[in-house]
Amino acid sequence: MTARPGRGQPRRETSEGRLALLLLLPAALLLCGVLLFPMLTTLRDSLYVNKLTEPWLRGFVGLSQYAQMLHDPRFGQALRNTLVFGIFTVGGSFLVGIPMALAAHTPSRVRGLARVALLLPWAMPPVISGLIFAWLFNAQYGVVNDVLYRAGVIHEPLRWLSTPGLAVVAMVITIVWKTSSFVALIVLGGLQGIPRDLTEAAEVDGATRVQGFFRVLLPLLAPSLAVAFIFRAISAVQVFDIPYTFIQQAPAQGLLETLGVYIYRTSIEFLDFGYGAALSVALFALSLAVTAVYVRFVRDGSSS
Amino acid sequence: MSGTDQPAPRLSPPERLVRAVAVGTLIVGGFFPFIWMVLTSLKSEGELQTFPVQYLPSSMNVGNYARVFSEQPFATFFTNSLIVSVLSTALCIACAVPAAYALARLHVRARGVLMTGVVAFSMFPVVSLLVPLFRLFRGAELLNTYPALILPYAALSLPVAILTLVAFFSAIPRDLEAAAMVDGTDRVGAMLRVVLPLSAPGVVTAALLVFVNSWNEFLLALSFNTRLSMRTVSVGVTLYQGEFAFPWPLIAAAVVVATVPIVLLIAVFQRRFVAGLTAGGVKA
Repeated sequence: MTARPGRGQPRRETSEGRLALLLLLPAALLLCGVLLFPMLTTLRDSLYVNKLTEPWLRGFVGLSQYAQMLHDPRFGQALRNTLVFGIFTVGGSFLVGIPMALAAHTPSRVRGLARVALLLPWAMPPVISGLIFAWLFNAQYGVVNDVLYRAGVIHEPLRWLSTPGLAVVAMVITIVWKTSSFVALIVLGGLQGIPRDLTEAAEVDGATRVQGFFRVLLPLLAPSLAVAFIFRAISAVQVFDIPYTFIQQAPAQGLLETLGVYIYRTSIEFLDFGYGAALSVALFALSLAVTAVYVRFVRDGSSS
Repeated sequence: MSGTDQPAPRLSPPERLVRAVAVGTLIVGGFFPFIWMVLTSLKSEGELQTFPVQYLPSSMNVGNYARVFSEQPFATFFTNSLIVSVLSTALCIACAVPAAYALARLHVRARGVLMTGVVAFSMFPVVSLLVPLFRLFRGAELLNTYPALILPYAALSLPVAILTLVAFFSAIPRDLEAAAMVDGTDRVGAMLRVVLPLSAPGVVTAALLVFVNSWNEFLLALSFNTRLSMRTVSVGVTLYQGEFAFPWPLIAAAVVVATVPIVLLIAVFQRRFVAGLTAGGVKA
């Protein structure tokens, strides 16, 4: 809120400040107690060796667990997987989500139904989306193989989840299905904010609808797209539930392990809390880096 | 159904076809995976094992739904999810409403910093909080209790709830509040009697977002509440698979039961969901 000159005597401002403090207090307590404090604990833990399988090794080790990451091929693989999935799933969710938003925005008799269809993947629990798609991609009785077989594309069922390359494709498709809705919803918000005359003016100028979309609509949607991008990028870096569900079903695990899954396994399955904490900090840093790029992009965009 | 009588903008026949295909694809794409689970849940193991796939079940075999409740305490999972989701939503909204009001309406000097802080909290990776929260809750003897999930769920959704509510509060004309204050009502009175009733749709929207987040959460529920009687639905649906056996009709039935509340919520509140996500997203 900007301070308005000539308004608000000092006395009222202090009382308002005190009230604000009081109103902000519960939220601050909850955020600091349940998010900030544990995160700081993670930061401290990352400097100590603490491995339940080798309890005699406990102690302060400084940054050496961060150095360990550099020589950890499994970390490298998980990081690479996360980035590859990120590029394909974020890109895919925009390619699918923007047309979805346009389809849901055009007035039609089934608009209500279209909106529910748009919301459903977004609201579906990620674990359940993973289960559903694991079934759709099932090698023996999956509907994906069935359709490909009936269409004559394949003659033998594809073993989607146990063939490394195909497992990656199946997981990318699953995540794109789950996350395109989110992009579509944000873009839909942007579309609703654009007056219809603007798009119609483009048509009067002789531009076709497609050109109108690229020349008029897309630039106007830029702020919404930027917001959708940052949220999608952060969720892509942190992705856990869907890869975790897929790995339960897929022998092709190495290529499906994301950073989130690797952290979970290091801490919970291998009981290496120290290294798990260091990996956690790395994931947090990666999330921060994504945000920093975005903030910079927004600042440059508004200053030019 | 809205917009039925609203005349569609002049479209040529090919454009109409493109629109029909686009809307059709959207509807089929959104619903098909769910409908496929419904169909699968009605099949017997024998019907399942055919290739090419038999699409429609030959008889309405509802036995799988009975097995969902008999093979695992699914009713308990359901109650647990409901209790955890409702209470975490209540806690989150109770903290978010005053905070968002302060950020949107009061003279807060560090407003920019605070808003950035709220956004920063929304980026915390849940998996990074897992071990420290586990230790914290073990120390407080909260593992396998509702608060072990209610507290983190409320905190994790708090940034989104605050941002959504700030957007809604900011959209309410200031003059209304000022008028009430001129009439002798104080700040708090104006907030409770003028701003809050007007922002009720915003509060409902934020609450829906929090509820869906809480209902869907998996990682913390998997790790903190390991006792079967304390499991939630999102973890419960994964318990029907053995190490090597995947009884798909049964899993499908569990998935359908677990998803029904979400589908109903969306069908009833679709406008609120769309409004909330679009408002919160664009203003964030």
